[in-house]
Amino acid sequence: MNRRTFLKLSALTGTVVGGKRIIGPFETFAGLSPQQKTENAPEEKWISTSCLNCSARCAIRVRVLKGKAVKITGNPLSSVADGKICPRGHLGLQVLYDPGRIRFPLKRTNKEKGRAIDPKWTRLSWEEAIEEVAHRLKSLRDKAQPHKLLLFSGLNSMSSEDLIFRFANAFGTPNLIFGNGLDGETEKSGRWMADGHYRSTAYDLDHTNYVLAFGAQMLESSIPLSRFLRKWGKLRREKSNRTKIVVISPRYSVTAAKADEWIPIRPGTDAALAMAIAHVILSEKLHDSDFISHWTTGFDLYKKLILHQYSPSVVSTVTGIPPETIQRIAREFAQTQPAIALGGKESLNWPEGSYTSYAIFCLNALAGSIDGPGGVIYQEHPKYQEMSPLVEDDIAREGKAQPCLDLRGTTKFPAAQVVTNQIPESLLADTPYAIELAIGFNSNFNMLAPGSERWDQALGKIPYSVHVSPFISEMALYADLLLPSATYLEEWGYDHSPAGGGVAEVRLKQPVVKPLGETRAISDILFHLSKNLKAVAPSFANLGDGPEGFVKFRTSPMMPWKEFLRKGVWTGPNYQYKKYQRIFNTPSKKFEFTSGNLRSLMAKKGKRDEELNLLPQYREANFLGKKDQHPFVLIPYQPLMVIENGSQNYPWAQEIFLPMHGRGWETLIEINREVGERMGFRNGQMIWVESPFEKIKGRVKLSDGIHPEVVAIPSGQGHYAYGKWQQGIGVNPHEIIGVDYDRLSGQAAFFNTRVKIYKA
Amino acid sequence: MSLTFSTLEGRSRIFLILAAALAALSLIGFISFMVSYIKGHQVLGSSNIVPWGMPIVITIYLIGLSAGSLILSSLTYVFGKEEYRPISRIAVFLAIVLIFGAMVGIALDLGRPEKSWRLFMFFVLNNMRSMFAINGILYGGYFLIGVIYLGFIFGEKWKWTRVMGLIAIFWAALVHMGTGAIFGFIAARPIFYSPIKPFEFLAAAMVSGLALLMIVVWAIFRFTKRKWDQEILYALSKLLPPLIVVLFTMVLVDKLTHLYSPHREPTLWLLAGPFSWIFWGLQVGCAYVLPFILLVHPQYKKTIQGVMTAACLVVIGIFGERFALVIPGTAYPLTFYPGSIEGIWGEVGSFPLRPMELFMSIGIFALMGLFFLLGLKYLALLPANERSEQTSTPAEKG
Amino acid sequence: MPRWGMVIDLDKCVGCQACTIACKAENNVPYGSPEEQKSRKDVYWNKVIAVTSGKYPKVNTELIPMPCMHCDQAPCVTVCPAKATYRREDGIIVQDFRRCIGCKYCIVACPYGARSFNSKEQEEKEYHRKDLPPDRSVWGPWPFPTRTHGVVEKCTFCFHRIDQGIKEGKRIGKEVVPACVEDCPANARAFGDLEDTGSEVSQLLASRGWIRLREELGTKCKVYYLPR
Repeated sequence: MNRRTFLKLSALTGTVVGGKRIIGPFETFAGLSPQQKTENAPEEKWISTSCLNCSARCAIRVRVLKGKAVKITGNPLSSVADGKICPRGHLGLQVLYDPGRIRFPLKRTNKEKGRAIDPKWTRLSWEEAIEEVAHRLKSLRDKAQPHKLLLFSGLNSMSSEDLIFRFANAFGTPNLIFGNGLDGETEKSGRWMADGHYRSTAYDLDHTNYVLAFGAQMLESSIPLSRFLRKWGKLRREKSNRTKIVVISPRYSVTAAKADEWIPIRPGTDAALAMAIAHVILSEKLHDSDFISHWTTGFDLYKKLILHQYSPSVVSTVTGIPPETIQRIAREFAQTQPAIALGGKESLNWPEGSYTSYAIFCLNALAGSIDGPGGVIYQEHPKYQEMSPLVEDDIAREGKAQPCLDLRGTTKFPAAQVVTNQIPESLLADTPYAIELAIGFNSNFNMLAPGSERWDQALGKIPYSVHVSPFISEMALYADLLLPSATYLEEWGYDHSPAGGGVAEVRLKQPVVKPLGETRAISDILFHLSKNLKAVAPSFANLGDGPEGFVKFRTSPMMPWKEFLRKGVWTGPNYQYKKYQRIFNTPSKKFEFTSGNLRSLMAKKGKRDEELNLLPQYREANFLGKKDQHPFVLIPYQPLMVIENGSQNYPWAQEIFLPMHGRGWETLIEINREVGERMGFRNGQMIWVESPFEKIKGRVKLSDGIHPEVVAIPSGQGHYAYGKWQQGIGVNPHEIIGVDYDRLSGQAAFFNTRVKIYKA
Repeated sequence: MSLTFSTLEGRSRIFLILAAALAALSLIGFISFMVSYIKGHQVLGSSNIVPWGMPIVITIYLIGLSAGSLILSSLTYVFGKEEYRPISRIAVFLAIVLIFGAMVGIALDLGRPEKSWRLFMFFVLNNMRSMFAINGILYGGYFLIGVIYLGFIFGEKWKWTRVMGLIAIFWAALVHMGTGAIFGFIAARPIFYSPIKPFEFLAAAMVSGLALLMIVVWAIFRFTKRKWDQEILYALSKLLPPLIVVLFTMVLVDKLTHLYSPHREPTLWLLAGPFSWIFWGLQVGCAYVLPFILLVHPQYKKTIQGVMTAACLVVIGIFGERFALVIPGTAYPLTFYPGSIEGIWGEVGSFPLRPMELFMSIGIFALMGLFFLLGLKYLALLPANERSEQTSTPAEKG
Repeated sequence: MPRWGMVIDLDKCVGCQACTIACKAENNVPYGSPEEQKSRKDVYWNKVIAVTSGKYPKVNTELIPMPCMHCDQAPCVTVCPAKATYRREDGIIVQDFRRCIGCKYCIVACPYGARSFNSKEQEEKEYHRKDLPPDRSVWGPWPFPTRTHGVVEKCTFCFHRIDQGIKEGKRIGKEVVPACVEDCPANARAFGDLEDTGSEVSQLLASRGWIRLREELGTKCKVYYLPR
């Protein structure tokens, strides 16, 4: 035995013996051995599964050596990104072997809840934990108040989501809150106004010759990221024409740096620019008149509005972009076929985001890029095996008829499918009713949502909350009971591709290693719970009786099970372009420049909107904070290395967190260099960034890549929960953002808070 | 007047206290070395951008001192200058102790000191194109030559001594020019890269070796209360100004060359950046300007205080010269690509002086001091003449 | 005798840094901590640097991935006293841990900052990969299942993959490539035999003007860049 081994053994013995510590006593990756021996495991295996570090859910292959996962790479059978994965995929190893993972169920003994408060977790067994949860669920049902159950679902595999949904329906609660309301809803609603698809947009990137990106950081935060990363390389140098890419954004991001042109724009004015581009296209008659005359309606009103109000010279003062640039870009866009215009978080997560999204989407119609090669395409969906009909009783039906806490579908948010950020207000005011039990599945909304403090207060108020997650995230810190779930590398599941290459694609999830400690997959937990609840059990009865069975059952129409286990990916039939006959889900069955969908929706809600409100348009954003007091607009952007599973405890990501600045392990507050120098700042100095609501402190970076009216802060840091590689590092810009919404879709607005900055 | 040599009695209180203190400091140095050996170089101030720290600075400094000292001893044994005979044994022994200290210093800087034997596998396991490897031959040989040289001196074999002395001059020059070549041949570091580095180092060796010898001699005679002819010191001090001028010229030419493209930026950074105080304050101020003024000033050059102050300044200043080469030389960021490199890859390196490194550095000096003291006690190095009170072994010629 | 080289197309590169992470996963390279990054003691085999020029609104940032350049006239090979780093016949610059004495001369000499020194035992940050051949019981050039402190390490062009691939008769550059090349999402990196005019790297080099970094130092890198 050499010195090293001896030291290791002593350390191990010492920690095991001294182990009152709940969270893995081993700080080392080496010390984490698979808890259940895989005795007969062959030397090396490659296992096909899919990733869950973001909502793209890419197909991956994992190399397992003697029961230990050692490498993750892409699955070549996946066509969405030609078998490639983004950098976050590789971090799965650090997710799986994260020393901060919870191994067994934990119960809170310190009744106080708050950020800096130690919950004083104690361990309990799964039987006790499930018993506790089932008991509380049963009592809600006994009181005929199933709607007082609040379910949060963050980033989970689609199979888990299906089961959570079924559970909510069988149990009888309408309060199933997904995290979508924090990201991407305006893109959906804007598009829905045009073609009736309340979904993210897919692009046929293999053939595109021109990309106009409005605040869409294609190489950092767009989904599916792997697709954009792969196709970028293809668009540049793997086809005969080199695609031109133009990025319009207040900040010079990685995407802008790699693009051909960066056009700095005043924040919040993207819709105006889109409309001005339409103006040039229409006035110079560069639009695809064939498509417009045959397959669109409402065009005349649209054209009149554009020509009347959105000339380049007028828009130029609004956006800060010279009119010549607008004209040139518009001509290039219209005359380079095929071209796409896409919006991203930074232009769409605004109070008027739906209209911005609508305005941008219409540009694709003008350029004739709807459902054509190189243009906007419609993602096909796989056909899963239908689940048996839901078994619901009257209590469940009445429960589901109650209004939902997030006010979706009300006149406040008429088109919304989920308004995640409304929850704290509803919880704090007990409207429309008080909640008694909350269960969160991998949701870390209090870090991701604007206005963190009200989330903290609201979470602290919930009488009893359960959190299911592999790590003690910030939301888990407020829970009364923690159920450790397995990571995505240890569970059975299925996922299908989000808006990607158009072709339907289903990815299998199968465990690459046995679940660590006593962790159990979410699907496993739900099946177990269902067995303990009379109301829910019948709906879960014929679903395959367990996670693996469920996946096998649902994917049975696709391919033989053994083949699926081997390949990991099922691909649907080839994509058909130009399905104009049947693709538009609008009253006129055509692409609508004046939204009939919105008209019908508002009529149903009892409001008749002016015709003008049914058109794409620019409305000046309502900023939170006055310009004279708070001169800058805060842009909390998402760098590539942010993992969307709620944790950032991954050193590989942390050490290269900010590629444009060559730094890791911190947050840098970026301001325009000239502005900063005038204010007397030096690089690296600590400054305060204060909004009308809160303030945070961080180091400043004077940059030539930031619009003078903007302060940009990366999100993803500022964690205060367990995990030594993330705790106390950097700051979270969401803490100082005010609460605002896009009124149609309920999307939380992230970018309309104004701030002031000063030395610390 | 006939000259004999004797040992030091070494029983006085000062001697014992000094020896004990040096032993203690050496021990502390050794302990910090063990700490850095077990925990790794994370406890030191060096990093991936400034990979060489205090041990290397001290090593090259000591090599210079050693080479200078040995070359000076040849004034007597090769060129027959009798006026320096009383101190020449000390000079040779000092050279041996210093080169030993330098080799200790190298071993301390290595990441894996237990493999330091690899440095001596000449031509077998070594890459002889590497200046480090060539220097391995040079330092090893130099040590041997020094020991044999001293042996011949003790044995009073003057013809052999003369031969060894000639070899010693030649070898010592090569040694320190080799040390200079370690730096001068590296194109990646613009502050290092220069064909004049070997000559610059040789001149620095002469200057610093001479100054150190003066200080050591003066200290010995002062502390042992021996009578001696201080003319030796004045004679030596007359050698110093021209040597300083030569060194200064070398450095001047080197820096001027580098002020032209392509090395202009890094050189300006050295002369005016965060480390410029070492260059101007220690290197130019302490090593060149102030001593020169003192030694040509009609009044100060005649006083023992003036001369010794000049020598002390030189010793400190040349240490600053070594530091001003090694640390800023590597701290200046590599220019991988034109433009401003963001973040850690474009940042200037920093060199914090961590405790372990400080103790190790002090330890090296303490160890050498200890060996020198022991040498004075057990070897017949000190001159004595008939007028002294010490009994001595008679000799025909010193 | 093949001469392995790499071509990085900066126009296709998307600055995502997947190469950096894939390399760390493949080769068991330890990660650093915030303190280690501040004191520049962390280890990188591949790094992506950002180089900025210009003033708002006309600004340009290049994101440039830099592995070890495996120079044909490598300064590090010249200065290593213990022959711990040497050029293999096929052009790969090997770092032999067994021989390395940790003198750091190679770090001083490398113009590309490709080398990192291990300033501590990295056991807690490694994955104990017995699959990285050969393991320590085998005499010969090293790379490591586990590393020791006090030695220098750098990118190896994943020669464990190449050697294994040659043994299995696979085509290097098509079927077997280093991890960074394989996992680059944009397919911006290519690897292959520079002596073979039909290889992808040779064809890329003939397709448009290429540059090498710090050409004036005459290191003759084998990592070429195709500019935007």
